[in-house]
Amino acid sequence: MRRCLLLGALALSLASAQEVRFWSAPNPSQTQFWEEMAQAYREVNPDVTITVTPIPESPTSEAAILASLAGGTGPTISENIFIGFGAQLYNASAVVPLNTLPGWEELLAARNMATAIETWAFPDGNFYILPIYTNAMLFGWRIDALQELGVETPPRTYSEILEVCATLREQNPNRFLLARADLLSNVWWQRWFDFFILYDAASNGAPFIVGNEIVADDEAAVAVFDFYRRLNEAGCLLTREVTTPFEVGNSIWSQLGPWTFANWRENFPELQLGENFVLTDPPVPDEMPAGEPVYTFADAKGLVIYQNAPEEAREAAWEFVRWVFSDPANDLAWFETTNLPPTRDDLGSNETFAAFLEENPALVQYAEAIPYAVPPIVNQNFADIQTALSEQGLAPAVRGDKTPEQAWEDAKAAMQALLGE
Amino acid sequence: MQRYFSRWGWLLASPYLLFTLVFFVVPLGWGVWLSTLSWDLISPSREFLGLQNFAEALRSPRVHAAMLTPFRFMAIFIPVTVAAALVIALVINSVKRFQGALAIAFFLPYLASGVAAALVVRGVLDYFGPFSSFVRTVFRADPDWLGNPTLAVVTISLMMAWKFSGYDALIFLAGLQSIPHELYEAANLDGATPWVNFWQITFPMLYPSLYTVLILSVGAMFSVFTEPFILTNGGPQLATHTWTLEIYYQLFSSLRAGYASSVALLNAVQVFVAVFLVRRLMEWWGGRYGWQ
Repeated sequence: MRRCLLLGALALSLASAQEVRFWSAPNPSQTQFWEEMAQAYREVNPDVTITVTPIPESPTSEAAILASLAGGTGPTISENIFIGFGAQLYNASAVVPLNTLPGWEELLAARNMATAIETWAFPDGNFYILPIYTNAMLFGWRIDALQELGVETPPRTYSEILEVCATLREQNPNRFLLARADLLSNVWWQRWFDFFILYDAASNGAPFIVGNEIVADDEAAVAVFDFYRRLNEAGCLLTREVTTPFEVGNSIWSQLGPWTFANWRENFPELQLGENFVLTDPPVPDEMPAGEPVYTFADAKGLVIYQNAPEEAREAAWEFVRWVFSDPANDLAWFETTNLPPTRDDLGSNETFAAFLEENPALVQYAEAIPYAVPPIVNQNFADIQTALSEQGLAPAVRGDKTPEQAWEDAKAAMQALLGE
Repeated sequence: MQRYFSRWGWLLASPYLLFTLVFFVVPLGWGVWLSTLSWDLISPSREFLGLQNFAEALRSPRVHAAMLTPFRFMAIFIPVTVAAALVIALVINSVKRFQGALAIAFFLPYLASGVAAALVVRGVLDYFGPFSSFVRTVFRADPDWLGNPTLAVVTISLMMAWKFSGYDALIFLAGLQSIPHELYEAANLDGATPWVNFWQITFPMLYPSLYTVLILSVGAMFSVFTEPFILTNGGPQLATHTWTLEIYYQLFSSLRAGYASSVALLNAVQVFVAVFLVRRLMEWWGGRYGWQ
C-alpha cells in the first residue's frame, strides 16, 4: 500500500512538472548563459524544467525554427530572433504577444527598457519580441596604420576617408582601406553591415520602410552608393575572398560588432583598443556637422514564445523570462558571458554594469551608441527587399555598372514592387 | 499456383512499395497540392492560387538562372569528371597491390563534408593566400575566382569534379574488372597496341559504366546546393544560382512554401526531361557503335 502511495506521489509530481523547451542561439557563450539560468531557476522552481538546446543551424537558425514549427516539433521559446524574422512569425500568427501576458509592464520597469522597447512594436501595437541585446555597429580603424600615413585622427566624413585612402594606396598598393567581398554579393543580411550602417548615419536614422511604402531618405541612400563607388574606383576596396584582413593589417578600416572582441582575445591578443585600433561612429557625408550624435545600425535580437506550445509551457516560459530579466545581475551575467550589450536604457548609467564596462573599455562605446542604433526593417519581405537592394542597387553601383542615382531608383522600384504598388 | 506466387510477390515487394508510397507518392501529392497555395507552412490561413505560382516562377529571372546553371556546370563537370574518373580507375586497375586502399583514398572526397570542402576552397582562394599570390606573381594575373561569373562557375564545377571523380572511378573500376582478359590476349596476339586496346576494347566495354556515370552526373548537377550556398550564394549575377538555392531561398528566407513547391516541381520536370534526353542520346550513341 505504502509503495503504491509512493508511486502515486511520484506519478503526480511528474505530471505536475512542467517542461519548457528553450532554443538558445547557436553561440556557445549564449547557450552557456541560458544553461546557467535554467539551472539557477530549477533551484528556486523545482517543478519547472527548462531544457536548453542550441538552435540547430541547418543551414540557418531561422530555417531550423521554421522547419520545426511546420513539423510540430518546435520549441516553447527561442532567442536569436531579429525583428524581420519576428515579422514573419507575427504574420504567421506563430508567436505570443508578450505585452498581453501578466507582468509585462513590471518587467519593462524592472529592466529599465521603456525607451529601448519602443522600436520593437509591431503594426498591431503589440510586442512579440523581448529584445535581449543590441549590438550598435561601430567601425574600427587601425591607428598604427593611420600613424604610418601621418594621420593622427581617424577620418569622419566620406571625403576625409577618400583622402586617407589615396595616401594609403600611394604608400602601399598591397594594402586596402576596406576588404569586403560581400559588398558585391546578394546575401540579404550583409546589407545590414554595409548599406544600412551608413544609411542610418547619413539619414540621421530616418525610416526606410513605413507600412508598405519605401520612405527612405533618397539623398542619404544615393550618398552611400556613391561613397562605395568612389572607394572602388580609387582602388580602396578589396571585394575578394580574404580572411581576417583587418586583424592582420591588410585592410585598415572595418565595421565591428561587440562580439568581435571575445574572438580577438583568443586569436589576436595583440589587438588592443587605443594601441593599434580605435572605434569610431560610421562615416557621414561631408555636409553633416561634427559633434552631433551619429546614428548606426543595430544588430539586435530577442526572444519569442511560440503559440503552438502547450499553454502551461508558455506560462512557465514567461515566468522564467520575467525571473531572468527582472534582476540586473542576470543582465550583467549575460554581458560578462557573451559581451553582447543588454537592451537597457540604463546600460551606461546603472552601477551594476560600471565595473564590467571599466574593465572592457571597448564595450563602453557600444553601450553609449545604443540610443542611436536603428534596428532592421520591420517587414516580412525583408529578405526579398534586401536582395533587391543588393542586386539592383548596391552591387551595380559599386561595380560602376549604374550611376548611384540610377542604382537607387532601380533598387527603390524593385523594393516597392515587392511591397505592392 | 500462379495466384499463390502472385500473393508472395506482392508480399515480398510490399516493403519497397510502402517505402515508395510514404516517401515518394504522398510527398509528391502533397507537394503538388502545396504548389497551388499561398502558404508559409505555419500560418493557420492559406489561399488557393491555382497555377499562379507556376506562372510566376516561369517569369522569374531567378528561376531562369536556375534552369541554365546546371548546364553551365555540366559543360565543365562532366568532361572533367569522366576523364579524371577514367584515369583514376585505370591507374587503380593497373596496380597489383593496395587496390582497395587506393580506391578508398580516391573515394574520400565524396564523403567529405561539402561545407568543410567549400570553406577550404575559400581559404585556398584567399586574396592574400599562397595560391593567389603565386598566380599574381608568376602569371601576372589576378583572377577573381568567385567574383567573376565565368570563373565562379569554373571554380564550383571543378570543386564538384574533385568530389565526384573518386566515386565515378569506382563505377569505372567495376566495369574494368568485368572485362574478360581473353579479349586483350586475343588482341595482343593480333598485335594491337595499348592505344588500340583502349579504344577498341576497354572503352566500348565500359559503355554501361559510362552510361551510369553520365546519368548520375546529370542528376547531381540539378541538385547542387552546398558549394554555391557557401561560396557564392548563387552569384555573381545569378551565374551559380541553382534550383536548390532558389527553393531554399523561397522557403526559408521568403517563407513562400507554395511558391517553393512549384519551383521544386519545375525542377523535377527539367530533371526528368534532361535525364530522358541523355538516356536517349546514350542509347543512340551505343546503338550506333553496337556497344549496347
